[in-house]
Amino acid sequence: MCMKPDQSRPCWQCGLALLVSGWLLSPLVAHAQAVPLAERLQLCAGCHNPDGNSSIPENPNLSGLDADYIVRQLQDFKSGSRKSPVMSGIIPMIDDKEFPALAEFFSKQKPKPGAKADAKLAAQGKEIYDEGIVGSAVPACSGCHNEDGSGTEKYPRIAGQHSSYVIQQLINFKSGERANDVKAVMRAVAKRMNEKEIRAVAEYVVTLKGAQE
Amino acid sequence: MIKIRLLLLTLLLAPLTAVFADVADAVKSPKGYGSKGYVWGKLLPEQVTVLKLTGDPVRGKEAFRGCRGCHKADAAGVTDGTYPRLTGQHARVVIKQVTEVRAGIRVNPKMEPFSADHAVSPQEIADIAVFLATAETTRENGKGDGDAVAKGKKLYEQGRCRNCHGTYGEGDADGPYPVIAAQHYGYLKREMEYIKKGIRGNSHPDMVRAIRNYSHEDIDAMADYLSRLPDYRQSLAERKGK
Ligand code: HEC
Ligand code: HEC
Ligand code: HEC
Ligand code: HEC
Repeated sequence: MCMKPDQSRPCWQCGLALLVSGWLLSPLVAHAQAVPLAERLQLCAGCHNPDGNSSIPENPNLSGLDADYIVRQLQDFKSGSRKSPVMSGIIPMIDDKEFPALAEFFSKQKPKPGAKADAKLAAQGKEIYDEGIVGSAVPACSGCHNEDGSGTEKYPRIAGQHSSYVIQQLINFKSGERANDVKAVMRAVAKRMNEKEIRAVAEYVVTLKGAQE
Repeated sequence: MIKIRLLLLTLLLAPLTAVFADVADAVKSPKGYGSKGYVWGKLLPEQVTVLKLTGDPVRGKEAFRGCRGCHKADAAGVTDGTYPRLTGQHARVVIKQVTEVRAGIRVNPKMEPFSADHAVSPQEIADIAVFLATAETTRENGKGDGDAVAKGKKLYEQGRCRNCHGTYGEGDADGPYPVIAAQHYGYLKREMEYIKKGIRGNSHPDMVRAIRNYSHEDIDAMADYLSRLPDYRQSLAERKGK
């Protein structure tokens, strides 16, 4: 970042630049200020619904996602390493200290089944999800995200996620627009897929139920 | 109906498949066999690091998640041989292969993004290696048609392949020489063609010399034979029992 390779602290030029730009921009940027969880959740609920099962397909379901995964996404929106026209506008208002409680809350919400899917397309998607595409070396999604889409600590839950959100994320991974995947593996997966395959697999992801308690 | 749909899907995918066309288009590794300064088995710095670490099969199973999409949850690969069977492979062989793909010595563009250092740590390689060495499978491997087993056995013996890969195809953990018994037929055949052509980047020169003069039919016969050998652990247990 703003560091010389041999220094652990930011160099003074950078510090000055940050100070000046901060002063210039301060009236424009909303300052992060911690507020109580219940109050903050009202903001999130506007788009992700109170229980994290959003009604608008462009806004992802947050229910049941791994808490560490949520924290990391929020940090990445804040640092700019994940960009979203919507979340990037909201995140500066939120204090980093709030992230763990928000993540904890949404991770504990019960996921709802996804919308009704086009059965024909979903069947094509299932083939890709379970077996991958051998010819173009797309690994099976189930390998990492589990057969039921329940995910693990390292690989996020995707079961029942809105198809339009899944499609958008895969397109973003493919183009490199979303490049915050820690191991760069999702970019490698999506780069090998065409839009038709992406649509099919997304249609199947909607139908996944995740682990059933 | 399903078949037609699959065919259509395959046709749609055809342009993409070309990127990964097999033997005919595979290229020599610029750092591997046949290049200046190539020495088989000379330990890379990363191999020294990984070999010092103690692997843990439980952690290895978890780390193997990133590999399951191709090599499958039971690590037994795909029957047509696109993805090799890894169950029961010697830990040192696994370490050698993964680190040499990372170093660009063995070329494997399909796997590279998923086994690169940003995806798997040296400790995870050590963990995965012990997990695979002890992993069992009950799934049948892909086999040749069985017509050329006797011929394959003879060629395998004449070629002195046993010196390194053993009578039962059990390889040698210290060589390290890979287990080749009960591997998928398609994979065995492809690798031997790569070795013959000098494009398996991390080839042992003695093996290239041994395989070079074999015809495609000979290679096919050996692949048929090796794919029909039982899991080497079974063979060794039976020998002990006698
Ligand atoms: C104005 C609507 C809106 C509001 C308000 C909002 N979000 Fe989002 N959120 C989105 C959209 C749209 C995305 C998808 C971003 C993208 O395209 O990458 C998203 C993505 C996310 C993600 C990433 C999910 C994933 O699966 O990777 C998290 C986590 C998240 N939001 C948490 C929150 C939290 C916590 C709040 C409240 C503090 C909040 N959001 C408020 C619209 C909103
Ligand atoms: C090698 C492991 C691996 C494979 C195979 C894989 N993924 Fe992923 N996927 C990941 C990781 C890791 C992430 C988390 C990215 C991050 O850290 O932000 C992810 C994230 C995602 C996301 C974003 C989730 C969210 O909430 O924003 C979607 C959607 C997704 N994967 C779909 C798929 C589909 C569909 C396939 C199969 C075509 C697939 N993945 C195959 C590892 C994998
Ligand atoms: C995208 C698919 C894909 C993924 C994911 C993948 N591999 Fe592979 N792997 C392959 C292919 C293809 C080959 C065979 C290459 C060839 O034909 O030369 C292979 C070969 C190997 C071999 C050599 C086997 C032998 O007998 O020499 C090892 C070991 C291996 N993989 C381990 C792994 C590990 C460990 C991971 C996870 C970190 C992994 N692979 C992930 C596709 C993949
Ligand atoms: C000097 C020892 C040696 C001899 C002799 C030898 N090999 Fe190998 N073989 C190896 C090693 C080592 C490898 C792994 C690649 C490497 O590092 O060379 C290998 C790899 C292979 C593979 C690919 C296995 C895999 O999992 O990818 C096949 C198949 C094979 N050998 C067949 C044969 C046959 C058939 C013969 C006899 C004609 C033979 N080898 C002779 C050492 C030997």
